[in-house]
Amino acid sequence: MEFKVEAHRIMSISLGKIYNSRVQRGGIKLHKNLLVSLVLRSARQVYLSDYYGGICLSAQQAREWCEGEYMASEQDKLVPGSTESLSESDEESKVAVDKQEPRDVVESPAALHVETQASGEQDSAENGVSDSGCSDIKIPEESPEATQTCEVASVVTAISSNCISVPSPSDPKGETETPTDCQTDSSESAEKHSYEPKAPQAYTNRKRTADDSELTDSPTKRTKLTSTSLPSTNDENKGETEEMDTSNVSSLITIFGSSFSGLLSNKEGEQPDSDAEDSDSGQICCDQMLKNLNPWSTAIVAF
Amino acid sequence: MAGVGGGNDFQWCFSQVKGAIDEDVAEADIISTVEFNYSGDLLATGDKGGRVVIFQREQESKNRPHSRGEYNVYSTFQSHEPEFDYLKSLEIEEKINKIRWLPQQNAAHSLLSTNDKTIKLWKISQRDKRAEGYNLKDEDGRLRDPFRITSLRVPVLLPMDRMVEASPRRIFANAHTYHINSISVNSDHETYLSADDLRVNLWHLEITDRSFNIVDIKPANMEELTEVITAAECHPHQCNVFVYSSSKGTIRLCDMRAAALCDRQSKFFEEPEDPSSRSFFSEIISSISDVKFSHSGRYMMTRDYLSVKVWDLNMENRPVETYQVHEYLRSKLCSLYENDCIFDKFECCWNGSDSAIMTGSYNNFFRMFDRNTRRDITLEASRENSKPRAILKARKVSTGGKRKKDEISVDSLDFNKKILHTAWHPKENVIAVAATNNLYIFQDKIN
Repeated sequence: MEFKVEAHRIMSISLGKIYNSRVQRGGIKLHKNLLVSLVLRSARQVYLSDYYGGICLSAQQAREWCEGEYMASEQDKLVPGSTESLSESDEESKVAVDKQEPRDVVESPAALHVETQASGEQDSAENGVSDSGCSDIKIPEESPEATQTCEVASVVTAISSNCISVPSPSDPKGETETPTDCQTDSSESAEKHSYEPKAPQAYTNRKRTADDSELTDSPTKRTKLTSTSLPSTNDENKGETEEMDTSNVSSLITIFGSSFSGLLSNKEGEQPDSDAEDSDSGQICCDQMLKNLNPWSTAIVAF
Repeated sequence: MAGVGGGNDFQWCFSQVKGAIDEDVAEADIISTVEFNYSGDLLATGDKGGRVVIFQREQESKNRPHSRGEYNVYSTFQSHEPEFDYLKSLEIEEKINKIRWLPQQNAAHSLLSTNDKTIKLWKISQRDKRAEGYNLKDEDGRLRDPFRITSLRVPVLLPMDRMVEASPRRIFANAHTYHINSISVNSDHETYLSADDLRVNLWHLEITDRSFNIVDIKPANMEELTEVITAAECHPHQCNVFVYSSSKGTIRLCDMRAAALCDRQSKFFEEPEDPSSRSFFSEIISSISDVKFSHSGRYMMTRDYLSVKVWDLNMENRPVETYQVHEYLRSKLCSLYENDCIFDKFECCWNGSDSAIMTGSYNNFFRMFDRNTRRDITLEASRENSKPRAILKARKVSTGGKRKKDEISVDSLDFNKKILHTAWHPKENVIAVAATNNLYIFQDKIN
């Protein structure tokens, strides 16, 4: 359990570093960010190895997509909060931070998502807008699917955090996890299996919806930021340009997000059993992440 | 106490310190590189503000035969300015990453200095004589009326106040997409290499508009990037051989005769990782921050976060010597990760005879290891020990529970005071240690 908490803390710190590297003078340092991404990967491995196999993983990822949008807005609070308020005090950290769930798994796609969302200025106004924008997503359209996935995922969260009763803020319907959920894991594991194939799709769709809503919600922010950051191009998304496009967050995602898939494929050789599902799911997430990079880049600019 | 580097009676003494004493250190004054020239008479430093300061050793005076010549400022110039890449909206720092001296070929001195993107060749020349008594012009330079010249005279050279002038003779630009981390002058004295995170380029000193790319580890798909180049150096004698180190703790030796593009190494140096010491930060602390050939060319030394390793070029599977610099930090890696200290890039250096090596640590400590006696010593660069010829006392960090007198506990180390750059005189026991914005010069005590 301590390892998990420590791993989680390290993941939060790593994300903070990646985020801060964007505003450092002299441009993003490739070496340092590569090392940070390796630490992130190690921490993630440790964190996930605490889960029972990869069963929870897909659902967890789906939940992360729900919460990923919040995580970015809390990014600034996350880093200072993480150092002081972990261990069993996930609840305390939630007190410090508005809608933060127990920040269990910062999945690589979620991590990238966080990173992308964390780009640009963060102020409370934006946070508020983004939060409301995100919460709007969950209710309409694929809400039945999304909600179910979210619920499953939040059940998983509850179980994974050893039955710490925490409300899942990602679910705007406000289902509070109770300790009773922990007792129903056997029945829910069946549920998760059935949701697993849906989960990757679910958050894919959700992402697109997120883009649309963000685009409509925050046109002013987008215009504000295009003056300070380069507009993204398709080339950058594919990472084909020779230039060091490190000033562009979307290309940074390409580097780090898919470096996870690159690193994961190395890892697969070592630990085929427990991590196979991790890798596959991670691979799926990363691949889908990459496919959706274009809409995301506009979302980033929006932030 | 017996010191390191010269024998049993050897001791290091304070000689000089350069730089401001203020507590408030301006970022631009932080020294980022230190390098002696081939003779040791000149000592160059570069700082984060893009300036280069060159110190010259005064000739030993006859009045005080026992004191070595002091280093005094010889020349100061602004080597690099901050730039802005408009295309990528990136600011290019003016920080001097490396200075390398060129072998002296005439009265002037030349050095290469580089920031993240551009390498410049500077010529530093001095004038301490001027000619007087020209026939065709007056002392103030006006042409004389030819009809007034009735006799010829030979101009004479008269001494004048020494004037040192630094001029940029070559600018090697636009060859690196990523941040330059190393430059190294080849033993042929005609070419040099420059390395960034993913590529190594070979230049001719006379040609600025093109360079040869000799190593390229950029993957076709940047998403598959797993390691970067961290340092590169030319072999001191074989002009076809060079090495480059990686962030994965490996060193590759390449022979330029084998292929134009040296992506396939000739030798691959890697020490297998100890699985018992694995942690979240294993990859970071195994990343090599500096690689230096010995003067003999037989060995090379690498610095990673916690140790210095000496490798025999003939043995690839493990180093021949490993020295722990500050092993007590291994349990603190998480805090060091949080405060970014784990990313500090320490350098290392050999002494002139390759019998000792030196590297820096925190709290303004620096460490020396004698390869023959296997003794090591920790010294501190501080203003408190800065009386002329004061002997430096050995310092010790207490690792156990009980802290002896005069020892420092790990928790009271100042991680903001780090010694990343050190240099050893090529022939004598004189060392230069850069502590943030101050440059300390120590030398051996003459018994």
